[in-house]
Amino acid sequence: MAQFSLVEFSIRRPKLIVAATVALTLLFLTQFPRITTDTNPKHMLPETSEVRVWNNEVDKVFALYEDTLVVGVRNDAGVLNRETLGRIARITDAILKLQGVASRDVNGFTTITNVTAEAGTLKVGPLMPSGPRSQAEVDALRGALFGNPLFVNRIVSSDGNTTAIYVPLEQGANGAEIADQIRAIVGQESGPERYYIAGDPVARDTFGAEMFKLMGIFSPIAGMIMLIAIQLMFRNLLLSFAMMAVAMAAIIWSMGLLIGAGFPVHIMSSMAPVFLMAIATDSIHIFNEFYFRYREKRESVLARMRSNSHKLAAIRETMAAVSRPVRYTALATAAAFAALLFMNIIPVKVFGVLIAFGTLVLRLFSFSLIPAILTFVKEEKIVKAVETESVELDRVARLLRRIGEVGATRPLTTTLVGLVVLGVAIVGTSKIHVNNNLVAWFKQSSEIRVADRAMNQALGGTSLGYLVVQSREPEFMKRPEAVGWLEGLQRHLETMPVVGKTFSVADYVKRINRVLHGDNSKYDSVPETKEAIGQYLFLFSMSAKPSDLDNVVDAGFQQANLWVQLKTWDAEAMRQVIQAAETYQKAHPLAVSVKPAGIAYFNLVWNDEVLGDMMRGFVLALVVVFVILALNFRSAKWALVGYMPLLFTILLIYGVIGFTGKDFDMPLSVLSTLSLGMAVDFSIHFIGRFRQRLAETGGDAREALLWTAARPGKGIFRNAVLFAAAFSVMLFAPLTPYIAVGAFIVAMMLLSALLTILYLPALIMLGRKWLLDQPMPAVDAAPAQAKGD
Amino acid sequence: MKRRWPWMLVGLLPLQALALSGEEVMKKSQAAFLYPGKDFKARVVMKLISKDGQQRVRELTLLRKNAGEPGGDQKYFMYFFQPADVKDMAFMIHKYPAKDDDRWLFIPAINMVKRIAAQDKRSSFVGSDFTYEDVSGRDLEDDNHLIEREEKVGNRDCYVLKSTPKAGDADFAHKVTWVDKGSFLPLREEQYDKKGVRYKLFTADEVADIKGFPTVIKRTMKNLQTGHRTEVAYLKTDYDLGLEDNLFSERFLRQPPRKWID
Repeated sequence: MAQFSLVEFSIRRPKLIVAATVALTLLFLTQFPRITTDTNPKHMLPETSEVRVWNNEVDKVFALYEDTLVVGVRNDAGVLNRETLGRIARITDAILKLQGVASRDVNGFTTITNVTAEAGTLKVGPLMPSGPRSQAEVDALRGALFGNPLFVNRIVSSDGNTTAIYVPLEQGANGAEIADQIRAIVGQESGPERYYIAGDPVARDTFGAEMFKLMGIFSPIAGMIMLIAIQLMFRNLLLSFAMMAVAMAAIIWSMGLLIGAGFPVHIMSSMAPVFLMAIATDSIHIFNEFYFRYREKRESVLARMRSNSHKLAAIRETMAAVSRPVRYTALATAAAFAALLFMNIIPVKVFGVLIAFGTLVLRLFSFSLIPAILTFVKEEKIVKAVETESVELDRVARLLRRIGEVGATRPLTTTLVGLVVLGVAIVGTSKIHVNNNLVAWFKQSSEIRVADRAMNQALGGTSLGYLVVQSREPEFMKRPEAVGWLEGLQRHLETMPVVGKTFSVADYVKRINRVLHGDNSKYDSVPETKEAIGQYLFLFSMSAKPSDLDNVVDAGFQQANLWVQLKTWDAEAMRQVIQAAETYQKAHPLAVSVKPAGIAYFNLVWNDEVLGDMMRGFVLALVVVFVILALNFRSAKWALVGYMPLLFTILLIYGVIGFTGKDFDMPLSVLSTLSLGMAVDFSIHFIGRFRQRLAETGGDAREALLWTAARPGKGIFRNAVLFAAAFSVMLFAPLTPYIAVGAFIVAMMLLSALLTILYLPALIMLGRKWLLDQPMPAVDAAPAQAKGD
Repeated sequence: MKRRWPWMLVGLLPLQALALSGEEVMKKSQAAFLYPGKDFKARVVMKLISKDGQQRVRELTLLRKNAGEPGGDQKYFMYFFQPADVKDMAFMIHKYPAKDDDRWLFIPAINMVKRIAAQDKRSSFVGSDFTYEDVSGRDLEDDNHLIEREEKVGNRDCYVLKSTPKAGDADFAHKVTWVDKGSFLPLREEQYDKKGVRYKLFTADEVADIKGFPTVIKRTMKNLQTGHRTEVAYLKTDYDLGLEDNLFSERFLRQPPRKWID
């Protein structure tokens, strides 16, 4: 057996092993300075995905910007006064001078195109070229703003208290930097106004900063907590540090590989350090067993020589006893993470590979670095620490034994209670609501949420979707029936509560029609001929910014772009819009096709991918974990039994998620897959060790169960507590996905440990005839000795 | 050292006196580019081409008549053929160097002549990358013109001038113009935005001699930030046709005489 020679080699040449590990770790560490982050939600799907290709095309055809910052200005006494307007003009001017800002298409009071008629003269130009000098100018501006539906809810709120400046960014501009510069610009203004800076670039930047915080602050804290917990458990600083060193090395190897391979760190992979730290706790089983074995050895070896012999023997025996479960738990974890490879969401794939790699590294360490370090442990230190390490003396072990006893003595009752709880959980699970709301990933009090809320209350909405209306005929969008149809669709959409504001070429046509006819509201309509529409738009394009028209129609007037501002980032909102458009088209047939686009549509597609991925990943992980269990136990029956605590745990957690109404989002969906791989560890250890014990003692199943609950059970308990301790740090993280992940894992670990120790004895007792009617495999669980299906 | 440099100044003086000043070059350039002949006619085809090749076409007849000397008042008349639905639209500009232009537009679909405010000379001309100012010229008085160096464009010797707006309210920071020393036509012009980034590029792509007037018959204006460009070709270019003054009136906007617009 290969790992046996590795263990032997490691305990004979421990220094070489440590030196090699340190050297390799340093090598991976050299990659760290090259770290980049990717916080763009668009990159969740591959560049070649249909929705991204299509969205890029729409951006191109309609000259749209990938990134736009929105600067909100709010004055509770109203923004339409000379002081506030003067500030807005100054701020806009300063923004126009910023590097990276697409100045030509900045839209705010001073730059947005207005179409008016004054004294018979048609005027197409900026709404407010400079700050007003008199009250009369302010009043005129008020009239222009509220007399033009193009402006209300877009650049001014209907109560006149809020305005927005839309700042599109050039390709490749640094949105975070520009947002900072804008903050500095508004910071120079005194006055009662409040300023909000929102938009994708701000969200991404905040996200990136929080990610670094998680990796740079929360991961080390998690590490410290684990270190303290391990120290309390084993009271040996060298051992505690050894375990941390193993975790740190695995983290550095994995992250080094990720960075070195050129992948940016994404929301998922930023959680990798905490995950690996937690997975590293699996080696607790080795230490746990080593302590028990050492004590036994020490007692049996009468001669208390200062030689290494019984320490080495203890190490050898420990490794022999735990090698099989440790190997298989690693395999199961790695396999479950590798199942993520079959998902469509890129960062999830990367994360899967990353953790699978890290887990294998950890297991490699289990059979090399850990035994090597164990050889360095000073005898007297262990002697002192192991005093308490005896099943009889240990309170925790006694408690665990009692829990196991409940299951083993009243298996039927325990199982029935379980079934009832399970039924309730299934009801809860059916209430799960899949939704990804990227803005909701930030905490309520975060700048971005505050800005988003304020803007959604005052203006048309911050989440933007498009409906691209396509015809087969060029020039079609100049036809009165087409423009009228667009207008009707807008009115239809605006009846929906999630829709704040819509905007299309019809708005320009109507506006010009009205203005040309002396601002007579009778003409606030679509004219009757194609020529009139064509000429109006031509007139408009003679003086407006090129982008004004480009944003709503393509060059050949074959496609129109209808802007839909949504008041929520919930993916469902866009689905409702698409359905409403379909309903409208059925009621008003026209030879056009309507295709959704924009970031809101992207979020919808992505949301559905998450659901599909979740189902696929979950089923795949279920199968893989089952196969691994069956292989490990060489029995499908045992695999089935080992499966139960795991399934029970996950259904319970899902039930709680369903009942609390928390959105089931990407991080949680990924976790469900991963949790299978991690929670199954406990079953593997429990059943593996139980069967060994039973074979060793050849006796009573009940007594063997209780021993398992107490001794390897303590390893399971320690593992769960450590795991939970590490992840509990994430409960204090700044982003809600991290908090959700933290809560999920803490709950899962503690629950699955408890359920393993309670329900495995119950189930084994219930099914003992069925399970135990065959000879047990022998101590070492050598392959040849196991029979079964 | 101190004693020597006044002598150097004296040494430079004659050269300075002989050469044209920046203002003089720009004045000659304006006359050659925007004022040649008493009047002018061309069939203009404009192609508005986006970064990825989408095209919009504008086709029009352009008439111009000077009121007096180069630099003085001018009248422009534009009659549109393309796009098809704007056929018969007509656009008239009375241009005055020292004050806002007067502009009128005839909208045939509703049979209406509308005065159009000319508040921004820097806005786009019929949706193209040219501004009104690029088409009909900018007041020379608005900028300081300095000859920076001399350089060849193709095989033509040029003055390279830097023009900087005197007032700060212009939407560009400065422009650099390559003026042909022989014809005084601008062969190349770069406009810089207020961030100091070159954002628009004009090139005279083909120059022909028409009735003794060197004329740019193909030109391109490219927006370097958006990648959008406008290519303009003059067909049937002619000078000194004897255009009457009353042609540039509201009456003829509605019904322009065939002989001038075809």
